[in-house]
Amino acid sequence: MQEVAVLGVGLHRFGKSGDAIVGNKSVTELCRHAVDMALSDAGISWRQVQAVAAASSRFSGGKGWGLNGNDVVEDLGSTGVPVYNLSAGCAAGGNAFNVGYSLVAGGVHDLVLVVGGEVMPKGMIQTSGTEEVTDPEFLRQRCVGMPGPAFWATLARRRMHEFGTTEEQMAKVTVKARQCSVGNPFARFQKAVSLEEVMNSPYVSNPLRLFEICPVSNGAAATILCSAQKARQFTGKPVWVASSAVATLGFDDTLPRNLAGPVPNGPSFHTEVMTAVRKAFERAGVGPRELSFVEMQDNTCYYELAYPEEWGLCEPGEAQYLLEAGETLPTGRMPINPSGGFVSFGEATTAMGVFQIVEATWQLRGQSGGRQVPGAKLGLAQTNGLGGNATAAILKR
Amino acid sequence: MSEIVEPAVPGLFVADEHGARVLGSKCEACGTPYFPKVPVCHNPACPGSRMEPCGFGGRGVVWSYSVANFAPPAPHKYDKPFRPYAIGVVDLASGLRLVGQIVDPPEAVTVGAAVELVIEPLYHEGGKTFTTWKFKLV
Repeated sequence: MQEVAVLGVGLHRFGKSGDAIVGNKSVTELCRHAVDMALSDAGISWRQVQAVAAASSRFSGGKGWGLNGNDVVEDLGSTGVPVYNLSAGCAAGGNAFNVGYSLVAGGVHDLVLVVGGEVMPKGMIQTSGTEEVTDPEFLRQRCVGMPGPAFWATLARRRMHEFGTTEEQMAKVTVKARQCSVGNPFARFQKAVSLEEVMNSPYVSNPLRLFEICPVSNGAAATILCSAQKARQFTGKPVWVASSAVATLGFDDTLPRNLAGPVPNGPSFHTEVMTAVRKAFERAGVGPRELSFVEMQDNTCYYELAYPEEWGLCEPGEAQYLLEAGETLPTGRMPINPSGGFVSFGEATTAMGVFQIVEATWQLRGQSGGRQVPGAKLGLAQTNGLGGNATAAILKR
Repeated sequence: MSEIVEPAVPGLFVADEHGARVLGSKCEACGTPYFPKVPVCHNPACPGSRMEPCGFGGRGVVWSYSVANFAPPAPHKYDKPFRPYAIGVVDLASGLRLVGQIVDPPEAVTVGAAVELVIEPLYHEGGKTFTTWKFKLV
């Protein structure tokens, strides 16, 4: 295995269709902006890119087949490079990063573009794409009617029961996330919110409120990965990929993702995420308490409390007190989502895994401005998506 | 005129003299319960799939729940105007953790509450009543 470096990163600011940020830009235009920025940051030209790993979108571009990498290549100029289109729900960006990483680590290519972009439809994401009675997701929607946020709300309610977490504590996660996004030029929301504003926002799925659930956004992210040899040609201080892992859920996973499963004997965890994160720690040779910061998939504020505990960053039930003590801020001892996270960016689903790599790279270079984690050395990026997909990557300087 | 009642999706549940049940299956080799039915056992540690039909009903305990404060998108169907409902994740004594609407008002539901499986109307369309499995506080 070769060492892999992040040579360049780029991002299009996140926004909502029709607003002053993304307007009516197509996913191709958003991706072009992010890719141009990453190429320029790396100091290379498009013609030097040897392969493309792209996140497949269900919502925009890709000729309806998830061929989003092919769209990018056509737009930038068809050089005949191999294109890998990766589909993994909301984990697709993380999956594309893993494939780009693997191509370089395995010595197949030494300069690879990883890209993800989205133009999202309005409103709640429809989780079932078919009307097939053989599809458990269709049955769950037709016979029960469980909107996406209801899964998170169920877990949040259980946490309130197990650890005494209050609705106010969950609202404080949003207050902290939006505090981080103030002054982040790429965030969709760049204004702080008060605890009162969060608590006064309506329930989407009780106990979760509108300001505690990430909306959908349009945006794009890109990164250029290269071998150690290439990296030394271009920069004296590269950011390194310490590890990159992908996992799917285990049979022993007992979270209510479908209609039914066996009643478990013990607690219920996100097994796909735990497996990916543990593999990332193992391969990087580091422990959870050595991280300088984490960029995690906070579709809802619940995850900023649950994931650090599931991964061993702190003890079960402790995260809410660390939050209240300011320890999850960039200046705390367990910084979570210094970027502002999904709650401040909104979710451009398949761009998110790449967006996290962009932010982690800026953090490790010391380029994150007002949200900078002082002395950041080691960062974890994590995504999960429909189908039981998860990814984790650890970056270091 | 008698009301025409049909299941929202046929073949998934029954209510007869033995009570309300969802119709799943169970692997006789490793004991794993399934709903809906599956043709082969998905347990990677199972010594050899032996699937038998199995109904799951009766009582259970609410492991957790959420509230649909807004109407879910299609393909869900509901009677208008939309009324928020609780969605329970229930650990049935028969060994199945099952998701379903709770017929009682969301304010009445708590984690740990005892419930039983019932077959109740979900929506009305074309002069017919369509039913599904739900839970009811006991």
